[in-house]
Amino acid sequence: MKNKSIGDYLRRFSVPIMFVIICLICAPISGLSPNYLINEIVTRIGRNAFLILSLLIPIMAGMGLNFSMTLGAMAGEIGLILVSDWQIVGIPGMILAMIVSIPISALLGLFCGKVLNMAKGREMITSYIISFFINGIYQLVVLYLMGPVIPIAHSTIKLPRGYGIRNTVSLLSMRQRLDNLIPLNIMGVKIPVATFIVIFLLCLVIIWFRKTKLGQDMRAVGQDMEVSKDAGIDVERTRIISMILSTVFAGIGMIIYLQNMGNIATYSSHSQIGMFCIAALLVGGASVDKASIGNVFLGIILFHTMFIVAPKAGTVITGDSMIGEYFRVFVSYAVITIALIMYETNKRKNKSKAGMQLALAQEQEEANG
Amino acid sequence: MDKSKKRRLIYRIAALAVVLLIAAAMFVIGRGHTVYFDNKMPENVGTEVNVPYKIEVVVAGKSVAKLKSGERGMADTMGQNFNMQLLVTKEKGEDPTRLQVGLTLPYSMDGIIINLPALLSGLDESAYLSEFVYVPSAEEMKDEEVITDDTDNQMNFEG
Amino acid sequence: MNEQKLTFTDLIKTKAQEFGLPRLIITGFLLLLLVLSPIVGADLPTQISNIINRFSWNGILVLAMVPMIHSGCGLNFGLPLGIISGLLGATLSIELGFQGPLSFIMAALLATPFALVFGSGYGWLLNKIKGGEMMIATYVGFSSVSMMCMMWLLLPYHSPNMVWGMAGKGLRTTISLEGYYTQALASFLQINIGNLSIPTGAILFFALLAFGMWAFLHTKTGTAMTAVGSNPDFARSAGINVDKIRMISVVMSTWLAAIGILVYEQGFGFVQLYMAPFYMALPAVSAILIGGATVNKATIMNVVVGTILFQGIVTMTPTVMNNLIHLDMSEVIRIIVSNGMILYALTRKTEGTR
Repeated sequence: MKNKSIGDYLRRFSVPIMFVIICLICAPISGLSPNYLINEIVTRIGRNAFLILSLLIPIMAGMGLNFSMTLGAMAGEIGLILVSDWQIVGIPGMILAMIVSIPISALLGLFCGKVLNMAKGREMITSYIISFFINGIYQLVVLYLMGPVIPIAHSTIKLPRGYGIRNTVSLLSMRQRLDNLIPLNIMGVKIPVATFIVIFLLCLVIIWFRKTKLGQDMRAVGQDMEVSKDAGIDVERTRIISMILSTVFAGIGMIIYLQNMGNIATYSSHSQIGMFCIAALLVGGASVDKASIGNVFLGIILFHTMFIVAPKAGTVITGDSMIGEYFRVFVSYAVITIALIMYETNKRKNKSKAGMQLALAQEQEEANG
Repeated sequence: MDKSKKRRLIYRIAALAVVLLIAAAMFVIGRGHTVYFDNKMPENVGTEVNVPYKIEVVVAGKSVAKLKSGERGMADTMGQNFNMQLLVTKEKGEDPTRLQVGLTLPYSMDGIIINLPALLSGLDESAYLSEFVYVPSAEEMKDEEVITDDTDNQMNFEG
Repeated sequence: MNEQKLTFTDLIKTKAQEFGLPRLIITGFLLLLLVLSPIVGADLPTQISNIINRFSWNGILVLAMVPMIHSGCGLNFGLPLGIISGLLGATLSIELGFQGPLSFIMAALLATPFALVFGSGYGWLLNKIKGGEMMIATYVGFSSVSMMCMMWLLLPYHSPNMVWGMAGKGLRTTISLEGYYTQALASFLQINIGNLSIPTGAILFFALLAFGMWAFLHTKTGTAMTAVGSNPDFARSAGINVDKIRMISVVMSTWLAAIGILVYEQGFGFVQLYMAPFYMALPAVSAILIGGATVNKATIMNVVVGTILFQGIVTMTPTVMNNLIHLDMSEVIRIIVSNGMILYALTRKTEGTR
């Protein structure tokens, strides 16, 4: 019995363990100093944690990995573009960008939730396609409507042709303002205290939310939609709310992410964010139907250590810097693939188990009757 | 039942109002300006003023510019209340005199030029304060090709 | 009898409903573009030959969707896996020194074993995870593309036409097919009337494969495939080996994708490696959906109509828009239309939800 539980543990944590091994092998080869590594990882926790935390709520509601968190990221970018055109700077600029992004995120989340309610059972592929679809709308807005319809005054932001936004928008006036709000330096490691406080607050909100009536409903819906419907829960509404919350958090997360980066790549910042956040979460030991706050932080540490270390190690081993870059991208995709496969096989196993139990119960009933 | 609905509506409206208030406040306190300091003879004021040998500008405890006669410096600031300390050296070799200056910046201007000699000699605002009009360089006005297709950028993730 | 009272408008309404509103809009849009193009000064014959050309490049990639839709595996978002088999065939054929049209035949032959092996593995995997095919297919495609990115650098290719000149190893991102199989099919029996040119060979090749597919769907295995797709439980009780049929459909789809990319390359004139195959599944998926297919139903007609409509819009919008309002919004329109179409199909209620 005990043996089996160890095997189960190994299986559940196979992905994190694999990553620990990769990191342990690559880190010494890469020749990066521990101090540099720790600094980078702390920065990346501050940069990414909020975004990844936004993925937790839809998982709770049984809607799988929210590939359409990019919608929130786009809303955040629109907020930042507008705010930098209005020349609102620093922390007030960030807060205003968040306030601008929230209604946009909420609307997009509502749209996403409604569409996903029409595609129950294949939420993930649908949310994935939604992210592409809305990217088209985003391009329409940013590339054609900004300028003639939505006023943009500054030539540093607007394309010289008179409409559309430049490929990169500088956020110099906001760059790392939140990170450096409360400066702290421990043994050469710069710690973005204020960012960590914001992240900590979101963690508290998520923990609190789980205990509310709505949170409980969401978990029930995630467990079994039919049963919760019979119990009087408005399934569709609950699912829509979970999408709205996730999208709004993703929008705020994107603003925190971009204030650290210091500029917006207008047409590509958001496109990969969903993929990398999901990969990081899965590396932390989460699965499609179960994820905790612990998974988020473990995931960032492991995934980003691999991300920093792999290209260097690849260059040292093969002499070609591209190999390591391709390797880390391959690993990100492979992790998601493996997690999806494990989720689907488990689902099938549970289903057939349930089916067998049902058959057994029926047999017994027949025998009794 | 009806009462609780009403109360909820009131709460919601109140929350919305608070958010809008915060947004409005951010507009006011977060407005960024770039202030340029000129230590040279002001133009179009009619009167001659004394241009000091050197002025050091200190904003929020940090020295942002040391301007000899005819030079220009700049500082970024947030909000409309702008306070600076000026360390004015009238002639070479003299000890600097310390001056505390507080200004109210016009909201609508992104870039503001302050002519320090005019300010020091007590001329009125129209003489020492003017708008800095940003002229984009030819480099910046060159057509920029927008890259929306990101398949080639799959690898360039700086997570 | 109520049915006799159906008026003509009702008839049209039901027909339109069958055809689907989005398809109606897209067809209308394309017709509008065709009407507008001579008015705004674009040469219609050139436009039409463009559409026909693009059809001949992409037709087989769209055709590759059919078997998996029939067997109930859904839309093949894992198309890049098949494309990679084709790319392996293409690069090997060049590496081994074949030239001219012969290199096309060799590429197809060399791609086949890869397609069979990859397809079988892919099929095996999809049989393990019935119900979650589409998402996993997407990520199988992504993983294989990024895996091959490393391989293109590491595999011992030497042909000077393909490797980076400086390093002498590692394949280039684009390889010109000049001297190999560029236009190998298209130039066969090509018809040129003024500005109108028709790549007869490529069209015939597509017709051959499409007919093959149609004929296959009418064989015993083919009908079994349709049965598996429409009702797997029923098919199983009728004694059909569901897993085997699904496996066949996946292998077929993968092989067609491999051949499809070769045909695409002979038209385009270049082999594109590394990240190029990454998003190639999406246009093919939306093309067949625009043609009237659903997540679990597709015909050859859907392929033909869908490819013409999709490629028509892709080729026509830039020219017409540019001439009309000097504003090239075609890229944005393409993204919205093609992904909107996929979304529409995914949200339809289909029996036996997958």
